[in-house]
This record gives sequence, structure tokens and C-alpha cells, in this order.
Amino acid sequence: MTAPRPYALLAEVTYRCPLHCPYCSNPLQQDLGAELTTAEWSRVLEEAAALGVLQVGFSGGEPLARPDLTDLIAAARTAGLFTNVLTSGVGLNTSRLAELRSSGLDSIQLSLQADEADLADSIAGTRAHRIKLDAAKWIKEAGLPLSLNVVLHRHNLDRLPQILNLAEELGAQRLELANTQYYGWALKNRAHLLPTKHQVDTARAVAEAAQKRLAGRMDIFYVLPDYYETRPKPCLAGWGQRYLTINPLGEVLPCPTAFSIPGLAFPNVRQHSLQWIWEESDAFNRFRGTAWMPEPCQSCDRREIDFGGCRCQAALLLGDATATDPVCTLSPRHQVVENIVSNIQASDARPEWEMRTF
Amino acid sequence: MNPLTLQDRAQLAAHARIQTDRITGQTVLLFPEGILKLNETSSAILERCDGRTISEAIADLAQHYEVPDSELQADVLEFLEDLQRRQLLRLS
Repeated sequence: MTAPRPYALLAEVTYRCPLHCPYCSNPLQQDLGAELTTAEWSRVLEEAAALGVLQVGFSGGEPLARPDLTDLIAAARTAGLFTNVLTSGVGLNTSRLAELRSSGLDSIQLSLQADEADLADSIAGTRAHRIKLDAAKWIKEAGLPLSLNVVLHRHNLDRLPQILNLAEELGAQRLELANTQYYGWALKNRAHLLPTKHQVDTARAVAEAAQKRLAGRMDIFYVLPDYYETRPKPCLAGWGQRYLTINPLGEVLPCPTAFSIPGLAFPNVRQHSLQWIWEESDAFNRFRGTAWMPEPCQSCDRREIDFGGCRCQAALLLGDATATDPVCTLSPRHQVVENIVSNIQASDARPEWEMRTF
Repeated sequence: MNPLTLQDRAQLAAHARIQTDRITGQTVLLFPEGILKLNETSSAILERCDGRTISEAIADLAQHYEVPDSELQADVLEFLEDLQRRQLLRLS
């Protein structure tokens, strides 16, 4: 099969993170020993640009934990990439920000856990909220567009109006409201994170009203809570179509959570060229296109709209990565999702979630 | 969002960047979380959004293509309004 052209690279430069968010999508087991070096990343960024990639997001973990982040940004700019850093804000100060800016940083996405410190810090497992508010201010002062990301779940979804107010106060240009997706730590803590139907319906109305009210001033991107949807989310516009992720160890994945799929080996940039990995490797070709699809996807008129849904979700919920995403009501095993949602114990005032560890 | 007028002075927002695509040679507009492929006319419009009024930019473009201003006006405004919706225009 001919490989299409990738447009965006997610560069997970480290798994290290000062926060302990219980919904982290990083793998539960992390080998912290062998992060790609500055030179390795520089080579890979150039290889990515040569393949067609135009945008790189430096993520993690916390990318600011890498002392060489400015070098990585400079290398990305040399390769002609538009650079974005996805950060908790912890580790940022005005001089670090000035360095990042002068190395060619184009934009920053700052995460918030909630609108106020007590709740936010209890979710992050550390006192980070006030640091984040400072970071937001510095980002604005540096002349960078402020983009905020808030992961939503049972314990902050009801605060959505206040979260929107805070984003407005901080002068955010873009706000990503991302309902938790259940991979990695989030899957482990799903019983404490999954919101109720009532919460989800209320929040959606709030988000839609804000989208209208703030049009042209703040772009609000609302990531749907897919367990409550009738159709699955399109797996990053199709497996191996536009996006790739490189993890701190140099493994290349079609999506950040593809490690959830048992039996799929991810080739490493230390052994192979990025071009070979993108075009030839089994990992990238396994679910590329539509030929792999089972019924009801194969004959479905949405097969090139939602691409059978999320392969990781099929693997995690059904133990079969080739199955239709069970979120889809057309899936013969949709009942699995219905059972999860109907078993929510909503009276969960004091969450006993397991915080992410290093 | 206020509709654009011909007297507005429009410039590309500081956080967006115009670049030549290494693969296709085409002009692309890069911005946070987004990419727009620009055709020749849209690139020509953006080149002229340098602080002059939209009306002046249209006049210059019309002269370049040797067509009357009125022929370009609707398309230029539509393109710039699209950029405005994406918060990619700085107006003064």
C-alpha cells in the first residue's frame, strides 16, 4: 500500500513529569533509562520534515524537564517545522521562556487541571495551579498565543463554566476541553474518572454555548466523551495517515496510545530510518486504509469517516485490535461500553484514584 | 466578531507563519494546531496584507492581475474573514 504523507509529529521527549495526574495517557510501565539524545532528536526532526511533516508538538511527560528543549526547538525550526510545546508550566520562568522564544518556539499549550487551586492541585497531585497561572501570564507577555488544555472528568466537569471564565480571564486564544480518553493511567482509574450522563449532557450544552459566544476570540475545541457517543472517534484521521508519535525511547507509534495494542512491535529510530518506519513497517501498515476492517465497518458508509474507530480502544475493551470500536452502536459488542457506563458509582466524593508515578 | 471593512488594515497574526512546503513547493500557512495550503491568489493577498488597508491591497492585486477591483473584492474579503475566524489576522 502506498503511504500517504504525514503532517504532524508528536515528539514525546521524556516520560519524566512533576505532575501525577491520574488520567495520564503515558504507559504505566516506563523505562526511564534510554531517552533519545539531542543529536538523535535533531536527526529525527530533519527526517520527519523530509517526509512531509510540517508541525511538531513537544510533549511528554513534561518537555521542560529536558534541559536541551531549546536545542530541540532550534533543530525543528532549522528543519522548517512549526513548533509547539505542550507543558504543565512547571519548570517555566521568564528567562526560560525567553530562551525558548529565541530558539524559535512558535506556540505553547499549557495544561490546567481545574479553575481553582485546591481542586486542581488535588488532581495534579502537587501544588502546580498557581505556577500555571503565572506561566499563562508570562506566555501572554512574551507575545505568544495562549492555548490552554483542560482534561475533563467526573471531578471537574461540573466546573466547566468557571473553567471557561478562567480561560477568558487569562486571555486564552484557544481552549481545548478534552474529555478523558481511557488509556494508560486513565483506564486504570476509569471507575473514578468517568462522568455521569447528566454531567456530560450539561457540560456539552455549556461548551456549545461558549463556542458561540466566544467565536472569533477564543477557539474552543471540545473533545467528546466517546463512551457516551453513538459513533467512534476517528483514529487520528486514520491509522498511519497524517500523524506519528515518537516516544522518549525512540519508538515510533501511529498514535500516542498505540502501546495499548498487544503484539504490535514499534520500530525504533535508532535502528531504522523514519521513512522506512512510516512507509514499510508492519506497525504503520497493520491498520492503514480499509482492507483490515471487519464487518460492520467494511460495508459501512462511514468507514472513511471514522476509520473503524480507535484500535487501542478495541484492544483494551475487547481484547481484539481488529474489532469495530465498541463505542459504535453498530458494533456487535457495544454492550461492553453500555455496561461500563451503567455501572458508574456516581457518589464518589473522595476519589481513591491511583496517582501517576514517575 | 465584527465584519471586515475595506478600511481595515489587516496583517497576518504574529503566531502564524508562511512557508514553502518542501514536498510540493506550494505556499502553506502554519499556525497553532493548523495548516492551510494557499493557492497563488491567497498567497498574493497575504503578501499585500502588510499594514495597508484592505482596499489598497485589493487595488494593488487588481493591478497585478490586470482586472477591475470589483472582480476581486468578494473573494479577498471571504478569504480574510476565514483567517479572521481562525484568529490569524491582526487588525488596526
